[in-house]
Amino acid sequence: MTLFILLACLAGVLVGVSRQLNGRLSMSTSPLVASFWNHAVGFAILTVLGFFVGGLLPSGAGNAPWYAYLGGPVGVIFVAAGSWAISRIGAVNTALLIIGGQMVSGVILDFLQSAPASLWASTFGVALILGGMTISRRRGKGAGTPQKADVTLTE
Amino acid sequence: MTTEAASSSNPAHFIAAFGTGGLLTLMVHFNGELAHYGNALFASWTAHGTGTVAAIILLLIFYRGRISNRVKASGAPLWAYLGGLSGAATVILTSTTVNSPLALSGTLALGLAGQVVFSVAADRWGLFGLPKRRPDVRDMAALGLVISGSALIILFGRGGV
Repeated sequence: MTLFILLACLAGVLVGVSRQLNGRLSMSTSPLVASFWNHAVGFAILTVLGFFVGGLLPSGAGNAPWYAYLGGPVGVIFVAAGSWAISRIGAVNTALLIIGGQMVSGVILDFLQSAPASLWASTFGVALILGGMTISRRRGKGAGTPQKADVTLTE
Repeated sequence: MTTEAASSSNPAHFIAAFGTGGLLTLMVHFNGELAHYGNALFASWTAHGTGTVAAIILLLIFYRGRISNRVKASGAPLWAYLGGLSGAATVILTSTTVNSPLALSGTLALGLAGQVVFSVAADRWGLFGLPKRRPDVRDMAALGLVISGSALIILFGRGGV
């Protein structure tokens, strides 16, 4: 069990590492180019892995609805947007907003499909997230920003 | 004023990052469908494949004729190209833990913790060549609220789904 807990935490760390690396690459290229390499390198590695463990072409795959294949193209925009944001607002703010956006939209999706298990927990959770985002947006001078000047000009 | 300073508190960045989280929900939903009909490796492999094709199409549209010098980056260290390796490893780890006693909710909650701890360290020390940022009390308060809210939704709101 301890092993699984460590692996699940490590997965989260690797999400951050991936975003950091893609952000660094996008600084030298562009967010879209960084997203391209992220997907191309990932595809190559998973192809090699698939040759060893098998299961790359499962028999039931043909029954998947057409829109299930949109995950990849959506992922391209997701990685590009994350790479774009992280070099501008930093890793903490990017993680915080993406997590918040994922949670709130997840709750909305649940509502559209079927009612969530607990309405109060979802509602209170969304309220906490929106509160946190408001705080992070209304920051003081220079807080968490690489340069201190000119905050007032853009507020 | 520099564009960097201006962009630091630009609401557009915050809205874009928040919207990106919405894209993640869609992506997880679609990839989950693929995994349901196939398996986790097939889903990730297919998503990376179709994503590569989609990225090439977008690059052709946006950078016509300038792709070669765009794709061949000047000044990016080789390790910066390994975001995909990290992403592929994530898929393997999460498809393992989702099928453990942790299930999806445990995987999500612990992954969130790992992501947050790493992001604080990444900003603090400017890991992997990105700018250093010292998180302040406000950042930490915001982080605390978003984490608590997310934990509530993951552990109770979505019924452990």
